[in-house]
Amino acid sequence: MLLKLWKAERMKLERSPVWLAFLLMPIIPAVFGTANYLYQKEVLTREWLSLWTQHTLFTDYFFLPIMLGIYCAYIMRLENANHNWNKVFTMPVGRASVFLAKLLTAAMMLFFSMIWICALFVISGYLAGLADPPWLTIARWCVFGTLGGMVTVAIQILISMNIKSFALPIGISFAGGLSGLGFLAKNMGHIWPYSLMAYGMNSNAPQKIAESGGYARFAVVCVVYLAVFTAIGAVTAARRDVT
Amino acid sequence: MIKLLKCEFMKTRRRYVVVTALAVTAAMLVWIYPRHHSGDLLRLGWMANLYELPLINSIFMPLLSIIVSSRLCDIEHKGAMLKQLAVTKRRGQIYDAKLLYGLAIMLFCVVLSWGATIAFGYIAGFEGDVPIKLYLFYLLFTAAPTAAVYIFQHTLSLCFKNQAVTFFSGVIGAFLGTFSMFLPQLLWLRRTLLWGYYAVLMFVGLFDWSKENRYQYAHFEVVGVDWSFFVVLLFICAALYVIGREMFKRKEM
Repeated sequence: MLLKLWKAERMKLERSPVWLAFLLMPIIPAVFGTANYLYQKEVLTREWLSLWTQHTLFTDYFFLPIMLGIYCAYIMRLENANHNWNKVFTMPVGRASVFLAKLLTAAMMLFFSMIWICALFVISGYLAGLADPPWLTIARWCVFGTLGGMVTVAIQILISMNIKSFALPIGISFAGGLSGLGFLAKNMGHIWPYSLMAYGMNSNAPQKIAESGGYARFAVVCVVYLAVFTAIGAVTAARRDVT
Repeated sequence: MIKLLKCEFMKTRRRYVVVTALAVTAAMLVWIYPRHHSGDLLRLGWMANLYELPLINSIFMPLLSIIVSSRLCDIEHKGAMLKQLAVTKRRGQIYDAKLLYGLAIMLFCVVLSWGATIAFGYIAGFEGDVPIKLYLFYLLFTAAPTAAVYIFQHTLSLCFKNQAVTFFSGVIGAFLGTFSMFLPQLLWLRRTLLWGYYAVLMFVGLFDWSKENRYQYAHFEVVGVDWSFFVVLLFICAALYVIGREMFKRKEM
């Protein structure tokens, strides 16, 4: 059932060029982050790590959370318009599955974005004259960034499900990204949902994940958050009246 | 026009557009201010603001513009309201009224954050008097790029029913603008980007900052106001307005 719902979600997005934004956005930090790295090479001495920071710093705190906010609002827009929730909730499918299908759809987009960000990072590194990319570390950033980002996605889907406006959830996602930066600065990045993506991707402090108990603990925190927000989403949907 | 503006106010009364704008401005202020409380930055505070705040503005103001313009224009896309409006008023007037209303909200937020910047300086105990002339320049150089970005976003929000288009293009523009701030070597980048004008109109530079001593021996200096590019920006504003208004007039409803 979940797979069918997921397929339905993909059908709703057919011929919608939203994916183009996720294709274009990572190119900006790749080009200009690399340029900045080359200009500041004498200060940025940690090679691949320094380049990664240039690529992901603004992306993770400001722009990717907003992009995810827009994407989540977009995939909820059809249901929020013209009382379409009535049609969705009268289908013979579990309401939790509807929420999960949307979560999976957004998570897939996030995962592809992460792969694209990492691919651009490696290409930029080679072009900047760096050798031997840390493949395992990059894969780890990609996987844990996706996992952390899924928590943001779950919250945004929950918010977009409950707020009909298109812009307001995006504003919240922007504020969330900002709060994430604040929590990271206060060394609480590993527990605040909006910090988890930047934390998983190690945007500015590669040592912090190890200090806070490692990747296993990070994964547990993410899974717990995902379970909690999915449960809230399912309960909210289940309690909603068909009007 | 007054009637149309009143109409805009009535339409947005319970949509919390102003509240949303104020919330984003408040988030910006909360994010900026705790940093200036101590050390050398108290000595350099007034000038440090003029150096640092354009970067913050280049992130926040374009995003606020997207949110406000989208909230104001999305009302009309629902239930084919634009079509109904277009048979009662001239399209150009509808474009102008919505633009004026949105710009007023944006400029209110700009002035509010400017006033809060000065108030915070006094509360934090920045040394010396506020350089009011420079702060008035800063106000002008924040308001002008914000107005240009707002006109662009307003046109997109009115012309595209799908608000995701306006959001994505605005966010990508803001992202480019923010990056242009970190690349002073690529002056052409900030000068060719609408969102880069927060950087173009920066007029304060930081000197003698070092990683070891940080702000201990550092000082800020006025490096000159680029009036030619301010004029260019005014032309861009006018061009965006004329093109946007014409696009909206020709839009198929």
